[in-house]
Amino acid sequence: MASNTVKPVRLAVARLGSALPGIRRAGVSSVTRAHPRRGPRAGEARWALLFLAPTLIGLAVLSAGPILATLAISLTSWDMLTPPKLVGLDNYVNLLGDARFLTALRNTFFFTAVSVPLGLVLALGLAVAVNQHIRGIAVIRTMYFLPLVTSSTAIAIVWLWIYSPTGLLNHAVAVLGISPQRWVTDPTLAMPSIIAMATWQELPVNVIIFLAGLQGIPSDYYDAASVDGAGRLARFRYVTLPLLTPSIFFTGILALIGAFQVFDQIYVMANPGKPGGATITLVYFIYESGFRNFHMGLAGAASWILFLIVAVFTILYFRTQNRWVHYQ
Amino acid sequence: MSAPTVSVARPPAGARRRKQRRRAWRLVRRTAQYATLIAGGLAMMIPFLWMLSTSLKTRVEVFSSAPFSFPTGLHWENYTNMWFALPGVTFGTFFQNSLFIASMATIGQLITCSMAAYAFAVLEFRGRHILFALILATLIIPFQVVLVPNFVLYRYLPWPFSDSGNWIGTNLPLWVWAFFGGAFGTFLLRQFFLTIPSDLADAARVDGANPWQIFLRIYVPLSRPALATLAIFQFMWSWNDLLDPLIYLRDLPTYTTTVGLAFFQGEYIGNWPAMMAGALVSLLPMIILFLIAQKYFVRGIAISGLKG
Repeated sequence: MASNTVKPVRLAVARLGSALPGIRRAGVSSVTRAHPRRGPRAGEARWALLFLAPTLIGLAVLSAGPILATLAISLTSWDMLTPPKLVGLDNYVNLLGDARFLTALRNTFFFTAVSVPLGLVLALGLAVAVNQHIRGIAVIRTMYFLPLVTSSTAIAIVWLWIYSPTGLLNHAVAVLGISPQRWVTDPTLAMPSIIAMATWQELPVNVIIFLAGLQGIPSDYYDAASVDGAGRLARFRYVTLPLLTPSIFFTGILALIGAFQVFDQIYVMANPGKPGGATITLVYFIYESGFRNFHMGLAGAASWILFLIVAVFTILYFRTQNRWVHYQ
Repeated sequence: MSAPTVSVARPPAGARRRKQRRRAWRLVRRTAQYATLIAGGLAMMIPFLWMLSTSLKTRVEVFSSAPFSFPTGLHWENYTNMWFALPGVTFGTFFQNSLFIASMATIGQLITCSMAAYAFAVLEFRGRHILFALILATLIIPFQVVLVPNFVLYRYLPWPFSDSGNWIGTNLPLWVWAFFGGAFGTFLLRQFFLTIPSDLADAARVDGANPWQIFLRIYVPLSRPALATLAIFQFMWSWNDLLDPLIYLRDLPTYTTTVGLAFFQGEYIGNWPAMMAGALVSLLPMIILFLIAQKYFVRGIAISGLKG
């Protein structure tokens, strides 16, 4: 499997190099010096081994190895107390008939499908708004960036209070004449509520990436467009947006991967003994089956399904880039 | 912003009036711009403001008063109550635990990622591209996939000082990994190392310096901004992490701030002032760090696009 993921990633790396202005110079393919066998640089391979030793051990023992180990564990029934029993694909079959797993799967897809596009659009608007050279903009930006450093645990607790029956949101909607809602416990409102919170928290990262992209657009382009009579909207549509597509692409992949892994908010909001478990996600399911119920096989199988989903979506996403991403 | 205006020769009086009108118009527009930006910023800050205001109210007040009313008095006792709320430990213990874990993880990442980055950026060896791609691939893999085997691994690693006799229940699984490289740090530092002119290394090499000396005397000192960025990010990730501490830590005195807070929340359901005080206190170190080192955060994200 590892070798299968390498190809799209190498593509990714090659593209990443040009995705952001700051690192364009440092793209992978730009370093193509020969490998001298003699001369002052002979023996560098041995040095490289020394420098890479911790990383190589980590790669083998903590990431690449365990991925295969997860696959092996997923084929067993194992509670960590008695020896594992080989059960073939039973765990996978059981998962597909497990209502709780299917709920987690559905929630994860829903969360991703809504939060990623929503987050990107909002961040784009905000980035354009704060990309101004006016006095005090640094202070203003700080206000927008603050959620960046906050732990999702603490933030989820704050939002739990905002969403509570007597919380801020119900006060706010009362002004509009809407009756109080159970934002977190009502099954239809719970996921949208969590998405709103997560979007708020993720906004600064996306805004910062977009800002870097915006500031990398040469002002000549805007001047040229203005000379041609392009208004503000036209400049955005025909200059900003196309030149920002690498940033959008890049932010999209990060948001996509992050969304599939959502856990902290779910743990805080869905954890306290809510029976229906309306908001559990895939990672929450993995945590629960592995580290609460000690079904390591089941947790392993769910992990692999998560891995495959992320891999498939990443590959599909990279496939689309030729159609809409413009590199300068 | 200010579109280039075409000026046509006009009578002086009309020109002056036009100029005045334009200046007034610009003032209005500027004011509206500031108002919008600040209003938006305050909207982003609402959760923080509400957290602060709730944390200073009494429990009765929280349910009876208007949402944004000022507290009748500043009830700082919510903070002391929260701090000493859990039996046998204070939040100070959680802070210490988080500080230790985050610091160790940061040190480990700084050392091993900079070494790996140096190999990828400067040294020449066969298989460099493939290996680097492999490292980057781990960036895209959801880390939950390795959760179970890593747990099993740490369960078999002996540790004489823990109740279990292995690493489970200790903080070792939360930072020892950091001494074995990391994709984000390696990527970030490699990008930075590549911008350092190779003439410097070449000159040192001619003078007989070996790669280790070149690394320590040239690359590390010149990369302080990038190292600071990595340090801040790793510190933040470790400080904010919930899933790993939740899995590995077993006893209240070993909890990190996030796990302690989540536990506290489970114990004090409905006591919103105390909970907001706890949330605020747990966020404070990162907020202060952010205000001090904002440029490193912003640069790190702009270069790598990662938060985690």
